[in-house]
Amino acid sequence: MHTAEVSHIAKSFGNTEAVADVSFTVERGEIFGLLGPNGSGKTTTLRVLLDVFKPDGGTVSVLGGPMSEEKKNRIGYMPEERGLYQDLSVERCLLYLSTLKGVPAKAARERLTEHLERFDLAEHKGKKVKELSKGMQQKAQIINTILHRPELIIIDEPFTALDPLNTQLVKDLMKELRDEGSTIIMSTHQMHQVEELCDRILLIDDGRNVLYGNLEQIRRQYSGHAVLVRVAGELPAVPGIEQLLPHNNAAKLILAEGTSPQDVLQALMARGVILERFEVAIPTLDEIFIRVVEEGDA
Amino acid sequence: MRKLWYVARHEYARNVFKRSFLLAILSVPLLIGVNIGLIAFMVSRENNYAPVGYVDHAGLLADPVPAPLGPSEAAITFLPFQTEEEARQALESQTIQAYYVVAPDYFEASRIELFYLKEPGENAMGQFHDFIRVNLLADQTPEIAHRAAAGSDVTVRTPDGRREFHGGPTFGAVVPVMVSVAFIGLLLMSSGYLMQAVVDEKENRTMEVLATSLSPAKLIGGKVLGIVAIGLTQLVAWILVALLAVLVGGSILGLEWLQNPNLDWGPIFSVVAIAIPSYVIACALMLAVGSTVAQSQEGQQIGALFFMLFIIPIYAIRVIGETPNAAPSVVLTLLPFTSLMTVGFRSLFSVVPVWQIAASAIIQTACAFGAVWLAGRAFSLGMLRYGQRLRLGEIIGKARVTTKGGSRS
Repeated sequence: MHTAEVSHIAKSFGNTEAVADVSFTVERGEIFGLLGPNGSGKTTTLRVLLDVFKPDGGTVSVLGGPMSEEKKNRIGYMPEERGLYQDLSVERCLLYLSTLKGVPAKAARERLTEHLERFDLAEHKGKKVKELSKGMQQKAQIINTILHRPELIIIDEPFTALDPLNTQLVKDLMKELRDEGSTIIMSTHQMHQVEELCDRILLIDDGRNVLYGNLEQIRRQYSGHAVLVRVAGELPAVPGIEQLLPHNNAAKLILAEGTSPQDVLQALMARGVILERFEVAIPTLDEIFIRVVEEGDA
Repeated sequence: MRKLWYVARHEYARNVFKRSFLLAILSVPLLIGVNIGLIAFMVSRENNYAPVGYVDHAGLLADPVPAPLGPSEAAITFLPFQTEEEARQALESQTIQAYYVVAPDYFEASRIELFYLKEPGENAMGQFHDFIRVNLLADQTPEIAHRAAAGSDVTVRTPDGRREFHGGPTFGAVVPVMVSVAFIGLLLMSSGYLMQAVVDEKENRTMEVLATSLSPAKLIGGKVLGIVAIGLTQLVAWILVALLAVLVGGSILGLEWLQNPNLDWGPIFSVVAIAIPSYVIACALMLAVGSTVAQSQEGQQIGALFFMLFIIPIYAIRVIGETPNAAPSVVLTLLPFTSLMTVGFRSLFSVVPVWQIAASAIIQTACAFGAVWLAGRAFSLGMLRYGQRLRLGEIIGKARVTTKGGSRS
């Protein structure tokens, strides 16, 4: 059973088509990355998944079927448009929101104490939310998302407003939750975070799937267009190279259409160069993202 | 159901357990109490219970009959003096506050002179006036003399005999007006809280978290329940203060007006029958406003317009008072918003026909259902509209409720 299954959903607001055709599945215990440029339909997809909006077409299954009141208690959601009750104390605000997720008051209090300490917010629990810094409020939001120990966690841009220390804290937490069996769907623009955390990704553009699958497989699929080379002495000219770029202590050779890394290696060997480094350049997710989106626009 | 109660409790606690709420709850009765106290203080300063002297040159008060007194009125002692000199000495020694001199030709000229150093109390002058009137009728039996001195005593009674006025309006007759005004205050306050509750959650962006924690029906149901509980708290507090005022005013201060409230339950029930759907209309419409607007300030401005609609009858009170059963009064009775206060006012001047009360209650109830539908629709469409106003056309439009709102991102 998939933790979440979205099949060919479509959603329009008046004449604006927010989501045209998006499909994906999320497996139990994985961190799934939902990527896409601004306005691609990510948030609408998440809202449809959470039953905030009904889709115009397609089907959604969450935790084994359609959304229900009971299932809402098993899902943690941190929306992109974040907010807490500004005039309440951190403690009272988080306790209230956790009771709405079905956590008994006593258990909520115990778990809250634990999380506040972990996130260095214990000494601020009596302060009004509006008195906290943006980063602290972000941490309080994260606590609110996981306090009821959800099976499925959906987070929209989790690292916004966090400093590097707290970013690491959240990353560690996400890995920990995954290891404990929680499933995480993460929507973000920060590709390096996706590369570090996600097992699988879906890239959507103009409301449609454009890239979907295992992250490593995708990167391998998009490799082969460049090689990293370092030689003793001067790098000789070889055929089939479209562009030569400096890359740390090596050169990055962008290959022309029809040229394989093997062709370049043979050409270099034929010229008798002493190779210190030769590897197929695996593209970063950023590069894949830009390439796919640009191809789509073209 | 549990989540609905949590929401209700949260709404109640975050509004009631605040110093501002306590101030709001006490401000209205406190304001009324302070005003009544000030008036009572001013009146008491105009009274003087010291004895009053008189010199009777006409023989009118040779064998004086005491003046009639009201039930809560303290009697002034009237001291006879043989000469004006004696009376003046008594005045100068402050034994008396003033003295009257009844002229020898009083029976022809009706001339009496008043002498004082400082203007005497109004109660003293009033009682001496009654004292003279009673003694002019001294040749009659005391019952006739007192009755004649009391003057006209008109009782106005409705044809069906259900209501009557004796002199000025009784406390019981004023109660329906007070109930309608209290409900207006209550519904404005409650609907304001409700609007604020929705706008706040849109402004502070907690709406989306709430929408994924419980259904919109439970969220709204809990909010309405919490706000109604706040309203009831306020109502109970006002009723307690009113009862206390009646008790203190009637039993301790001896105010005649409050000693026999003589409540007429018919008009009170009529007002309540219209007040309940009116309350729902106001709350639902303010909820719709809260869901529609982008900022609380905008909501407050629209809320002020609703307030104006509810108090229209105040501007028409002269028409309602002079012609309580004419077409304008009937129209205001039947219209939403204006009916609550109009029925309260009309009850003071007349008996509102049962059919009009029933028709008004039915119209208000139908409007209440419409307002609740509108509010539900506005909430579903507008709950995730951040910084964007919802148009009326969108709310009433044919598009499915769940397929509107939000933005692509």
